[in-house]
Amino acid sequence: MTRPVKWGLALLLLLAAASAAFLLLRPGTPGTVAVVTLDGEVVREIDLSALKEPVTFTVEGPEGLHNVITAEPGRIRVDSANCPDQICVHQGWISDDLVPIVCLPNRMIIELRGEGAQVDAITG
Amino acid sequence: MPSRDDSPARRLTRCALLTAIALTIFMAEAQLPPPVPIPGVKLGLANIVTVYAMYLLGPGDTLMILFARVFLGAVFSGQMSTLLYSLGGGAACYLSMLVLRRIFTKRQLWLCSPMAAVCHNLGQLAVAAGVMRTWAVLAYLPYLVLAAVCAGTFTGLCAQFLIAQLEKSGKK
Amino acid sequence: MGFRRVAAALLSAALLLPALSGCRGQAEPAQRTVLAMDTAMELTVYSASARQNQAALDAAAEKLAALDAALAVTDGDSEIAALNRAGGAPTPLSGDTSALLERALDLCGTTGGALDLTAYPAVRAWGFTTGEYRVPEQAELDALAERIDYAAVAETPEGWTLPAGMELDLGAVAKGWAADELEELLGGAGIGQALINLGQSTILALGERPGGGPWRIGVQDPAGEGYLAVVGLSGHMSTSGGYQRFFERDGQTYWHIIDPDTAAPARSGLGSVTVLGESGLVCDGLSTALFVMGLERGARFLRDHPELGVEAVFITEDGAISITPGLEGSFALAQGYEDREVTVLP
Repeated sequence: MTRPVKWGLALLLLLAAASAAFLLLRPGTPGTVAVVTLDGEVVREIDLSALKEPVTFTVEGPEGLHNVITAEPGRIRVDSANCPDQICVHQGWISDDLVPIVCLPNRMIIELRGEGAQVDAITG
Repeated sequence: MPSRDDSPARRLTRCALLTAIALTIFMAEAQLPPPVPIPGVKLGLANIVTVYAMYLLGPGDTLMILFARVFLGAVFSGQMSTLLYSLGGGAACYLSMLVLRRIFTKRQLWLCSPMAAVCHNLGQLAVAAGVMRTWAVLAYLPYLVLAAVCAGTFTGLCAQFLIAQLEKSGKK
Repeated sequence: MGFRRVAAALLSAALLLPALSGCRGQAEPAQRTVLAMDTAMELTVYSASARQNQAALDAAAEKLAALDAALAVTDGDSEIAALNRAGGAPTPLSGDTSALLERALDLCGTTGGALDLTAYPAVRAWGFTTGEYRVPEQAELDALAERIDYAAVAETPEGWTLPAGMELDLGAVAKGWAADELEELLGGAGIGQALINLGQSTILALGERPGGGPWRIGVQDPAGEGYLAVVGLSGHMSTSGGYQRFFERDGQTYWHIIDPDTAAPARSGLGSVTVLGESGLVCDGLSTALFVMGLERGARFLRDHPELGVEAVFITEDGAISITPGLEGSFALAQGYEDREVTVLP
């Protein structure tokens, strides 16, 4: 093997190993507040821990695309969308802060954040 | 290998042909359901053509083929909204290939291609972060790097095999 | 050859990292509910091994039972009950109880008597010990108030003395003391991460919450159902509130926090006080004392006593919230309470 190949291979392996390690080692925190962002603007914030029953709403993007979103106690998903790739729908439910739901075509993101109302105990 | 009588017509035809091939592959792949529900993760088979062009035709022709394919691909697949991301990825990939083609030979495409693929996905992600105005999309970074390494190695091997076969059969 | 070594290291790293994730992952939690000091205590400890967790929980439960037996004023066999019964005669107390009593009396002195361990007869007169509530006559209250004086408790070579007719109760500091004891015990057992909820009014948070950052403790809305704010906690916390135990008579609400000066429920305009600090005993005792003092006096007291090292959240009966400056970064209003105004005390 020539020098560039060796170092190129090493670099690539390192990148892959680091990515894999990051994915495997990173602990996810259960999210309690879902933040729905459309085109950079927060359009809706839902406290999933305070929900009593499912809520369904539609997020309409600037180019006529929309995502139908359902939030339940503790989790959230895109039910349906008219975006071409449907990736946001395929991702299904998310309940932690590891990977947000992203609909690239509609510039829509659903993020879960651990912060918010969730508490470990109540004093009183 | 480009032949000596590289007339403009010949060059144009060749570029058009390769664009058509790349576009066909791209459209065929677009018909498949996404392999994993993560935006930006796909095989990117059309890049076999990009790699081939970069090594056998040079940067100028490659740029035209790549741009035409990305643009027409967005038009034909009706995914105009994703054009920006594809352009970002394509640009990053192209720039990295400009450097990589000087380092790696035609027999090392299996390594050159995944590196370019990683750059492609990084570029795409950077554009996504810019367009969406959030760093949240960076959560996808490790997935995209891993996917790029796998998909890039595959397309690189395809391109390498293709070039080897073409050279063996004495064609360009 | 450099490359081979690099490649070997990378490959082994790639193989090892996932395997390591099992060990380096989150500490395992273990939880137990302990009934002591008339309340349900929720102990949650985190460590790498289930056995270590269980051993720590066993020791903690044992400790709580022992403290309960020694300190409970209602339990005829307890050391405190013996002291109350002695009718002025010196009563020897165990080293632990003696140390607690000393520190608690110190705190009574620091608070100028706003905290007074000898208010017990008044608490009983109102019926808070039995649940048979009544409103004593003014004359009775005056007589009771006269016999409330922590300074009359004395230590002699033969033991502790308490004038006849007076009674002592460590209830105002017992849970805080228990939290201090548990903190030491858990430290010795190698537990660095734990949430010890001694029946809500007293909480000890060790280390960080799972997922990182300080533990998030909701502060109960004294006038409502939920919690009105969230405070980041790493250390001790105690809350005293009128809503914790009370009864109503003729449209009047009477609660269990007694003002030692009047022998009647402390009406200082406060709905609750939450105190955060390094010592459970200090937090517990001060939450009662500050409640008795009221917002203005309480805030001044805290300014005058920086050596106590505590922060506090005052909530008035009409819902106004005041916090000490040290809480500014770790205090947040909860959902539904965002429009409450929060005053940062000078």
